[in-house]
Amino acid sequence: MIMASAAINAGPMPAPRRNRQRLIESVAGCGFSLPAFLLLLLIYIVPLLVLGYLSFTNYELGALDTRFLGFANFRKALSDPVFRRSLGNTFAYVAIVLPGAVGLGLLIAVLLHRRKRSRSFYEVIYFLPVTSTLIAMATVFQFMLHPSIGPINGVLKALGFSAIPFLSEPAYVLPTLAAIGIWHLVGFNMVLFLAGLSAIPRDLYEAAEIDGCQGGLDRFMTITWPLLGPTTMFVIVTTSITAFKVFDTVAVMTRGGPMGHSEVLLYAIYLEGYQYFHMGYASALTLIFLAFVLIISVVQTLVIERRVHY
Amino acid sequence: MAAPLPLTLPLARADLPRRPSTPLTVMMRRIVTLFVVHGILIAGAVVILMPFLWMLITSIKSPAEIFAASFSLWPKHFNAVENYTFALNQVPLLRFAINGVIICATLLVVQVLVAVPCAYALAKLRFPGRSTLFALVLLGLCIPIQVPALPLYMGLANFGLLNTYFAIMMPFFLSVFAIFLFRQFFKGYPDEIIYAARLDGMSEFEIVWFIVVPSAWPAIAAFSVFSFIAHWNDLYWPLIVITDTKLATPPLGMMFFADAETGTNYGALTAAATVLTAPLVIAFLIARRHFIDAITMTGIK
Amino acid sequence: MNRLRILLGSIMVAVTMAAATSARAEQVTLDVLYAFPAFAKFHEPIAEAFMKQHPDIKIAFRAPAPTYDDGHQTMMRQAVTNQLPDVYYSGFHLLTELVRTLNKRNQIVDLAPLLAAEGKAFREQNYSDKMVALGRVDGKLYGLPFNASSPIMFYNAELVKKAGGDPEHMPDTWDALLALAAKIKAGGPDVAGIAYNVNDWPDVWLYHAMIMQQGGTVVDGDNVPLGGPVIGVKALQTFRRFATEGGMPLIDWDQSRQQFIAGKIGIFFDTPARLRQVTDLIGDKFTLRTAIFPIDNKAKGGLPTGGNAAIITTHDAKKQKAAWEFVKFVTGPEAQKIVVEGTGYLPTNLRATGPQFLGPFYEKNPNFRTVSLQMERAVPWQGYPHGNTVRIWRAQREIITGIMRGEIEPKAGYDRLLKETADLMKAP
Repeated sequence: MIMASAAINAGPMPAPRRNRQRLIESVAGCGFSLPAFLLLLLIYIVPLLVLGYLSFTNYELGALDTRFLGFANFRKALSDPVFRRSLGNTFAYVAIVLPGAVGLGLLIAVLLHRRKRSRSFYEVIYFLPVTSTLIAMATVFQFMLHPSIGPINGVLKALGFSAIPFLSEPAYVLPTLAAIGIWHLVGFNMVLFLAGLSAIPRDLYEAAEIDGCQGGLDRFMTITWPLLGPTTMFVIVTTSITAFKVFDTVAVMTRGGPMGHSEVLLYAIYLEGYQYFHMGYASALTLIFLAFVLIISVVQTLVIERRVHY
Repeated sequence: MAAPLPLTLPLARADLPRRPSTPLTVMMRRIVTLFVVHGILIAGAVVILMPFLWMLITSIKSPAEIFAASFSLWPKHFNAVENYTFALNQVPLLRFAINGVIICATLLVVQVLVAVPCAYALAKLRFPGRSTLFALVLLGLCIPIQVPALPLYMGLANFGLLNTYFAIMMPFFLSVFAIFLFRQFFKGYPDEIIYAARLDGMSEFEIVWFIVVPSAWPAIAAFSVFSFIAHWNDLYWPLIVITDTKLATPPLGMMFFADAETGTNYGALTAAATVLTAPLVIAFLIARRHFIDAITMTGIK
Repeated sequence: MNRLRILLGSIMVAVTMAAATSARAEQVTLDVLYAFPAFAKFHEPIAEAFMKQHPDIKIAFRAPAPTYDDGHQTMMRQAVTNQLPDVYYSGFHLLTELVRTLNKRNQIVDLAPLLAAEGKAFREQNYSDKMVALGRVDGKLYGLPFNASSPIMFYNAELVKKAGGDPEHMPDTWDALLALAAKIKAGGPDVAGIAYNVNDWPDVWLYHAMIMQQGGTVVDGDNVPLGGPVIGVKALQTFRRFATEGGMPLIDWDQSRQQFIAGKIGIFFDTPARLRQVTDLIGDKFTLRTAIFPIDNKAKGGLPTGGNAAIITTHDAKKQKAAWEFVKFVTGPEAQKIVVEGTGYLPTNLRATGPQFLGPFYEKNPNFRTVSLQMERAVPWQGYPHGNTVRIWRAQREIITGIMRGEIEPKAGYDRLLKETADLMKAP
């Protein structure tokens, strides 16, 4: 329909006028996108080039002599136990948050989807953490998880268990931070899944029912899950990127401790770059970080492509 | 989009008796299902709400009760006034909140002013370099702030601009996400109207701001919500460029506040947390639909 | 298009102007940075009192650094970006490192001429030789001590009594103290005997204290023997014993403090700077007492002097003059009284202890006097000679925690500490 009207409009236009319109569009288009383009250059392109250059040098903030190092920074990163540990910690964190936040988000969405009166009530509650300031909540969590005066350990002790030092025991610190990450993300994913669920035509369910799909699980596996595929992929990608960027809770609650067991990638980069000023090395680490995000993002782009076609 | 469902629910499908199910067993099954579903949902809701509840309760408790060996939910003595005054006096909490509002509002205006024309150009105008620009926007979508942060920091330091509102906002003046979102939205805008407007002699500038934008309010509202949440809560960048308390954003202010010593004063600390969390939560409770639509729209991209 | 540009432009201008005007003022404004945000409770009233006396000088505090080590890194960064505050309170252990860095760029002021200009009598009335010595680096006076302390023992008198100890006479050796801690721990299922939070302390203070109380050497010129193979290992063994014999919970330092306040730790080591706050939070839950830090080597044992010295970085003549007035004031008797009463720090000013100032306060609050009783043991608290102290401590702390958790043998841990310290001193 749009094509047709465009043809009608373009058809009777005399040639000079069409040319004039072309010119106007070119000028306006360039003019309109100029501020954005300049900012793009300033905020993304130039910094990326600088970052690339720095990553081959030993530049330190304010240093008077800077040498070209080639790939030494990258080689150092690969053998640096601190960096490797932070990479491992980050992956471990993602490995917990991803299934947790996606699975629970899906579960709640599926349960909520059919609710009529109570839906918005639950929606508000589950979405609340998304809007809350994570830093502020982190301090609350710190108190709740306190080994001796925190309510969670209070409950554990009342039930006859011994207290768990959630944030001080190296083995527990990442799972604990991941649980907070899930708490923060689950509402977000729930909303995305709810949108995906609403897009599934209702008569499909009725048809399935006629075909003998009676149980909820049956129905879920034959209709909901396959049709929710694109949404699920999208949620998985956004969740992994968000989890990969974990920083706030670490900066406030553990500062990478105990014994570096919660030192994640961004925190390691933060320490190198802004605390110890090894800009060259930090640049190399940042590029490695970017590489990981890009890999996830490429997957995301593919998913979007697929969705467009679908 | 999560449109409310106006469809009538096919409730008990007694009219399709493929299996012999009596109304009673159907009823029973429905009740059990209801029970299980709400059971799970309520259990989850309690976990989600617990930190908020604990924050509010602790913020009105006295230190003696907070550190009591046995813990109780409801305070025996109210210490709300002391805790909140301590929080408000010890650290300029209101200042942080005002900073947050100034920064978020300015950013939003600039982001929309920059993104709308660009998105319109990408969606509706033919001009040289359009596909390159769009490719760059897509690339920008994949680059988190932590990547350009280091060179940007060095640049700002070089020009003596650290510790200014400008430094906090500068990397976010351009929102590639806004461009992307608006472009998708503008693409669906009917071309006939634009042609008609051109025939009426309207300039492209007028077309954007007086014809296209008014129809794009849902997208702009959704983006505003997104932008506000992101910049109100951002910690990484302000932590790097701001050392002046007077310029601190809410999360940064919270971090300044939560050192080891006040860290022991949980009453005041949670009072501070309440004050800084409240604005967004209240905004959310008021404009709930917009928040949820905003998230939904990102999923559509 | 144009309207848009103008709008955009005017926003930019407005933002920049707002930033610029806030920085300009008629009077002299001094930017001051300190560490530990909670110490706003004495920094702010001191600044107020100062501004009342000097209406032409305005004190503007930067956002306080969370710890000395964070503050130090901030200073190092701002030295490069030319964003230094005019006055900074540097932790003693980082003073040398900071002064040497700033000196290279001519960003610090030698205080000796300023002090000399006040006359000999003024100096002798206010500052003891020992105090002044704490502010010297490479033979020159760069800082005037503002806060000073050494670690002391806090204890829960009821728990000590219950375990058969005498709250009036606490043990003064670590073996005896650990024996008492073990008895306290045996007294209840969720009571810890002792906490010595070296595993999470933000700087090297408590680690060095355990070496120095045995008469060991942490830093020897260019070398860092960390106490030597006997004393150094003994210190690490003692740390391990806190966990095994004393039941010390290996948790965050502030969580540990909260646990002590909740009455669940018998003996607790901390800076006297937190005495006021701990006292207030305990209220009447139990009887809080303090005692001196146990010293194993009574002949040679020392304690590192914690705290900080005020330095001046501005080279603007007008600001420098104002900054000197401020530094004089904060190290003067009136300001020191505010500090001591609000915290538990030692006064750094000779006149502050006099009868008109703190005398009556000490009479009434014996807990606050403890730290002054061990002052003859105070020795300068040094960082590592080639800089990088902050990063070295991050690495050391991980090893020490490993030792306390029983994952690393103290002897092996000592070797690792030596090696990693040496490696990090070499690397930038």
